[in-house]
Amino acid sequence: MNKREIKNNFKNIMVVCVACFSILILVMIFGFIIKESVPAISREGFKLFSGMLWYPTHSEPEYGLAAMFIGSLLITLLTAVIVLPLGYIIAFFMYGYAKPWEKNIIKSSIDLLSGVPSVIIGSFLLVYVAPIFFKLGAWSRENILLGAVGLTILSLPYTASLMEEAMSSVDKSMKEGALALGATKFRAGFSVISKAAMPGLMNAVILTLNRIIGETMVVLMASGGAAIIPMSLWDPVRPLTAAIASEMGEVELGSIHYSALFAAGLVLLTISFILTLISKKISRRSSK
Amino acid sequence: MKKILVFLVLVVSVFSFSAPLVVKGSNTVLPIAQMWAEEMKKLNPSINITLEGAGSSTGISALFNNTTDIANSSRWLKASEIEQMGKEKKLFMPIVVAYDGIAVVVNKSIKLENITISTLKDIYTGKITTWNQIDPNLPKNRINVYSRNTASGTYETFSHFVLGSDKMSPAVRMVESTQFEADVVLRDSNAIAYMGIGYVDSNVKVLKVEGVMPSKATVLDSTYIMSRPLYMFINATEGFPMTGPVKEYFSFATSKRGQELVEKAGFIAAYGN
Repeated sequence: MNKREIKNNFKNIMVVCVACFSILILVMIFGFIIKESVPAISREGFKLFSGMLWYPTHSEPEYGLAAMFIGSLLITLLTAVIVLPLGYIIAFFMYGYAKPWEKNIIKSSIDLLSGVPSVIIGSFLLVYVAPIFFKLGAWSRENILLGAVGLTILSLPYTASLMEEAMSSVDKSMKEGALALGATKFRAGFSVISKAAMPGLMNAVILTLNRIIGETMVVLMASGGAAIIPMSLWDPVRPLTAAIASEMGEVELGSIHYSALFAAGLVLLTISFILTLISKKISRRSSK
Repeated sequence: MKKILVFLVLVVSVFSFSAPLVVKGSNTVLPIAQMWAEEMKKLNPSINITLEGAGSSTGISALFNNTTDIANSSRWLKASEIEQMGKEKKLFMPIVVAYDGIAVVVNKSIKLENITISTLKDIYTGKITTWNQIDPNLPKNRINVYSRNTASGTYETFSHFVLGSDKMSPAVRMVESTQFEADVVLRDSNAIAYMGIGYVDSNVKVLKVEGVMPSKATVLDSTYIMSRPLYMFINATEGFPMTGPVKEYFSFATSKRGQELVEKAGFIAAYGN
């Protein structure tokens, strides 16, 4: 083996090691969270996931994650209802209508927006948006809608650029063909290109959902922190991520409360895992 | 080369300091501890104090595993902690450093002066949900009930005085900081919250509880019901430390100047009244 081969082999091994490291971290995080959540799951059983009441520090503690889990789902759903159409419209405009310089402006503002720290978005919502909601009839300052607006601001750049990418990756001949056959610009973009880009668009939807459900800071600040199931847009809500962030700092290590918080993390991780799997499946099917 | 030198100097200067005094625990006691630390630093620049406010429970558990020298606490020891002390053959010495009252605050627009403990309990357990249930003259708006999160010592003291063994309604919003509560009460005309009297300012309205306004006198003689002592715990398993930074800190805290700073931070001095 000459010097060059040794050098090459060494580099290869280094690259493989670093690549394996990321896998190792993933496995370790999964292992760690499962290990830490076992005490709560084995003691509380199914009640942990079906119980509505969360009184972890009471002398007769109750560890029910259901209300917060439903809160997480509802705020994600509400955000999705706002952000997906918005993201699609922006992507549609960038793809079909925007001149190059317009597209440039939109692209760079989206990039800038995606760099805004979530804690700043949270403060902005509380100081400037909450008073507007009060005027519109909100009975509480922090509520599910305020949280959803924050999540929309956070995830819009992500959604719009993913969707735009999906539409751009459709073969240009499709668009040209549609236009040549006499379809309007709107028709070509909406019926032809969007249909062809459907797997990519679905993928964007799922990745967006994944991002929304895991977001912490905005929901901690703006969505209220009451572990109830919201019945109106003005009701407060406490998603799982907010509960973990709020309580993990001061929980007694090794207690059931501590373990229950990890169980909440396990729930989130499982959701994220499933969403990622679906996303992978969609992109694999579309690349065939 | 220059960079390496600067780095080395930094490293050496960090390690050459005397072992730091670590103070951990209650967020309520933190403003007092901060003032003490600043003043002690002025008097004796070589002293090195690390402060961390992470909640009373965190402070006491840090005292158990020797990661802090002093644990601040806004509550007394729990039965489980006393048990653990016996098991580990340790003795923590409680020192009352100040007194605090928990004030109930509302927005200034609410025309309510007095509240009873039983009404407070009904509000926090969710039996009363609108203002006009307290007093028919008040608006028929929903009460926005705020509480500190469960890790806070203030939360535990409040539940002890108000809720007893009952549970807080899930509709109560658990928030991360007292400052957040103060901010909400200032902006939301239907909000109610509770906080240590050290945090109360002129932007909010303090309610009398059972006819008594929280003040220095009423907290000191406990006519104001929601009064509590604030502690620092030191590990006295091997006797009370007569030398070293812990002793220095203790002496300063209980000195005339230290107690003046307690009052300056908005609490009530434990000594020299």
